Amino acid sequence: MTPAPTVPLVCYQILAAILFTIGVVGVLVRRSALIIFMSIELMLNAVNLSFVAFSRQHASMDGHIFVFFVMAVAAAEVAVGLAILVAIFRNRDTANVDDVRLLRG
Amino acid sequence: MLIPAFLFAMFAGIAIGCSLGVIFHRNPVHCALLLVGVLLSVSGLFILLNASFLAALQVLVYAGAIMVLFLFVLMLLNLKGENPLLTRGAAKGFGILFAIVVFVELLWTVLSPQMEGGMAASPTVPTGFGSPAAIGRVLYTVWLYPFEITSILLLIAVIGAVVLAKRKFG
Repeated sequence: MTPAPTVPLVCYQILAAILFTIGVVGVLVRRSALIIFMSIELMLNAVNLSFVAFSRQHASMDGHIFVFFVMAVAAAEVAVGLAILVAIFRNRDTANVDDVRLLRG
Repeated sequence: MLIPAFLFAMFAGIAIGCSLGVIFHRNPVHCALLLVGVLLSVSGLFILLNASFLAALQVLVYAGAIMVLFLFVLMLLNLKGENPLLTRGAAKGFGILFAIVVFVELLWTVLSPQMEGGMAASPTVPTGFGSPAAIGRVLYTVWLYPFEITSILLLIAVIGAVVLAKRKFG
């Protein structure tokens, strides 16, 4: 049997909340599409941390499986998202979300 | 044992510091490298939570493959530093306000008394918890179909990325 961790698991949840909020700030405040992508990765990591902490708390493997799937979806998302970014940059010579406003009217 | 508490504090500090750097640094290459710091410290936290296989996967998939993709696109696009750094006017204030609301809501949820065993010591887990064998046993029995569908998703993503990056629009 593995001994119980000395750090209460609620600390991990608070840390995940802080990381998620930093990611939200990054998405809402930065202008570069690349940094927005990185902030999304930050949020996904915060949620992964939360999943693993809950999984540890309930001594169940299902949270680990969910993190596995989140990683796979994140890989797919980054591949497609960066391809879109390259396409935008090729056409408009900018990766700035404030300058790409074709749908804004 | 104070070592796990010390390790938790260290990894948490690195993660928070690096993630603040990610969203406030001007140079995108530095942002990407700071994001690697966040990913590695989260991987350390995974080990503290007995998720050894996921920690390895975090380093291999996130800090390895995904960040290399980011850096590759960064080099390809050769972006100049943003000037100004942040989005304009009302969007900035509204964004920070919204983020504060999200944070308070998350904290309220995490600290609410309904959270099962919030401050209580977590249960002991069996030997091999989080090992590749344990993950594989669940993944290839209970979650077999989602696992197979994930392979199709990745195939679609690869094809989509090739098509998007190849074609000339307009």
